[in-house]
Amino acid sequence: MENFLQAIDTLTIRFALAAVLLPLFAFVINICLPGKSNKAAGWVSTLAVLVSCALSVFVFSRAWNQHQVHQGQLWFTIGNIKLSAGILLNNLSVLMLLLVSLIALPVHIYSTAYMNNDENYKRYFTYLSFFCFSMLALVVVDSLVLFYIFWELVGFSSYLLIGFWFTRPKAILANKKAFIMNRIGDVGLLTAIIIIYVVFRTFDIEQLFGANALVRSTAFQVPGGWQYVACGGIFLAVAAKSAQFPLHTWLPDAMEGPTSVSALIHAATMVAAGVFLLARVYPIFDSQELVVLAVIGCFTAFMAATIALTQNDLKRILAYSTISQLGFMIMAMGIGAYASSLFHLATHAFFKCLLFLVAGIVIHQVQHIKDEYQLDIDPQNILYMGGLRKKMPLTFIACLIGGLALVGLPLTSGYLSKDGILIQSFEWAEGKSWLFKLIPIGALITSWLTAFYVARLIVKVFFGEFRLMQFNPHIKLHISDGAWQYRLTLLFLAICCLFPLFSLHPVLYEHAWVFSGFSRITGLDRVNIYHTIIPAGVNIFSILVIYWAYAVYVRQKALPFPESGLLFKLSYQEWYVDKFYNRFIVMPVMTLSKTAQWIDRNIIDGFIHLLQRTGILLSKIAEWTDRYIVDGLLHLIADLVLGIGNFARNFQGGKVQYYLFSMLAIILAIFLFKILI
Amino acid sequence: MIPLSDFLIVSAGLFCTGLYIILSKHNAIQILIGIELMLNAAVLNLVAFGKFDRLNNGGQLFALFAIVLAAATTAVALAIILNVYKKYKTIDPGKIDELRD
Repeated sequence: MENFLQAIDTLTIRFALAAVLLPLFAFVINICLPGKSNKAAGWVSTLAVLVSCALSVFVFSRAWNQHQVHQGQLWFTIGNIKLSAGILLNNLSVLMLLLVSLIALPVHIYSTAYMNNDENYKRYFTYLSFFCFSMLALVVVDSLVLFYIFWELVGFSSYLLIGFWFTRPKAILANKKAFIMNRIGDVGLLTAIIIIYVVFRTFDIEQLFGANALVRSTAFQVPGGWQYVACGGIFLAVAAKSAQFPLHTWLPDAMEGPTSVSALIHAATMVAAGVFLLARVYPIFDSQELVVLAVIGCFTAFMAATIALTQNDLKRILAYSTISQLGFMIMAMGIGAYASSLFHLATHAFFKCLLFLVAGIVIHQVQHIKDEYQLDIDPQNILYMGGLRKKMPLTFIACLIGGLALVGLPLTSGYLSKDGILIQSFEWAEGKSWLFKLIPIGALITSWLTAFYVARLIVKVFFGEFRLMQFNPHIKLHISDGAWQYRLTLLFLAICCLFPLFSLHPVLYEHAWVFSGFSRITGLDRVNIYHTIIPAGVNIFSILVIYWAYAVYVRQKALPFPESGLLFKLSYQEWYVDKFYNRFIVMPVMTLSKTAQWIDRNIIDGFIHLLQRTGILLSKIAEWTDRYIVDGLLHLIADLVLGIGNFARNFQGGKVQYYLFSMLAIILAIFLFKILI
Repeated sequence: MIPLSDFLIVSAGLFCTGLYIILSKHNAIQILIGIELMLNAAVLNLVAFGKFDRLNNGGQLFALFAIVLAAATTAVALAIILNVYKKYKTIDPGKIDELRD
């Protein structure tokens, strides 16, 4: 029996491993494929993701709510430190495995149509496969070292994809920003891992944070303030990856990448890695640190929601909404709603991916119009859109479902997860001081703000008249929902946004299988009054807000807030966070580096140039001495010898009579000499 | 009786004449004549000194040999001059200077 179980586990592990490695194979194959826009690349990647999706479903069915499967083997040894590499499959990792591959599959299919005309089609799919590999590996690895490696790879592939159109200066700036901000988080994570290793002497996630968590045991004690440093490091990593305040500003800029990438990486999966990290290391936080998490999450959610109210860039609105929802998840982690947080992560992945894909289709069509009539507009600006629901009915319906799920209206998946968080936040604040009450109230206000900006977005894009017509009445619209790849993915994701996928009961989040899979409390109590009041209150008010937005933007009633007020500016300028960073971090750093460059160029280089000039001068003197004194002496001797030789040679004139004459003269001279002496 | 010194003076005059001819003339045949004159000066010396060897007449005999040899060398020299002329179209020894460095 034991052996049999072990064999089954091994099979599950192998399947999980295959699911992780298939995108890597696709990546390698795509690298080797010839041509820049080889259409085979799309099929290779999509096929790999399809198979790994199927394998993930299998692994999920085997491991969900079963005993956890953990296998590994020795990787390498340094001194006494043994590092093992392996796979850990528990509820959390199989859920993430399934989620990532299930989101990646429609995005791949969508991309085959979306990137069809791009000249770097192959490169796109190569990167995309690489990302899928890193992300899938990130969720199943069992060691913090491996976790860190894949954490970096995920960030790196995100960097590659944000800068996919690297000829655009904005894309380069955006991917640089994303990379640098993620580095800050990476430093935090590395610090935390080192501290954890130093204290607990292991990298194994299961031993550290599993059933008998070492971090909770009394045998080990993290000395002094190091506990806070480690948690702070993890928080930094989470904030950078999941775009939480104060490291959130990279995510809106990351929208410079292709929209399908935004859907997969910057909405559904990679940004959720921060929440996943929190879920992995959850036992390490004590109650105070959790409160900090809740405050940060709540503040981020609120801030991002207010920013999303006034943005005009379709993708930027969605990006801020992502930040806001991620804030919800972090807040849920902070208030101890572990299961709700992960539940919200799962539902959010589907509806945010859906919304981004819708945005991609809309932007694509507006871009076509722009190219056709050579208009000077930003195709992502929602002020130019409008009335698209008649032209693109399927896209409109998908967007509506996604939007309603984002708002959290009943019958959608978002309702189940978001109301879970709200209810639990009120329960958490119960019996605490009024300051703690601010968190659930902030969350509540945020969810109403969400309702408003989602309604604004949908109304501006899909209702009313097509506003480009007002600029140029000659425009003829022949836009549609697009290729079958678009329709299929939208349909699939829209179905996933509805409640039946997650819970058979449309309004009770406790019945959702994702929730019960993580919930540690048995015997759910619904005695609390919040369970009835909050969902009803939130939703009635949300519907009112949506109607209000509809009235404001479609019926053209007076705007509730002037477009020049202080609050409007605060929201439109994104709370001046970016400006603040530019002023107080980027500018000083630039000034510092420019000063350093000046010093380098003028002082260090100047000194070296001085040395160089001195050297040149010295060698010129040496050369002169060599040429005119040393060589001159030699030349003088040579010339002397030559002169003597030439002089002696002159006698050899070839005239025989001269020879004779000179002989005679010499003999006579000798005689004369003899006579005289 | 003519004293020996007269012979020697004439001989010396002859020798000097021959030497002058050799040094100054630009014609190989004239130079040859100069050489003959110098030889004859030597022969005259031999004959003049031969007076003191009445018994064997060695000086006279030696003079005869010298004359014969002079004739032979003159023949050889003339042949050389002819060949030189054939090759260089000149017999001025000053212009035949191919052997110089």
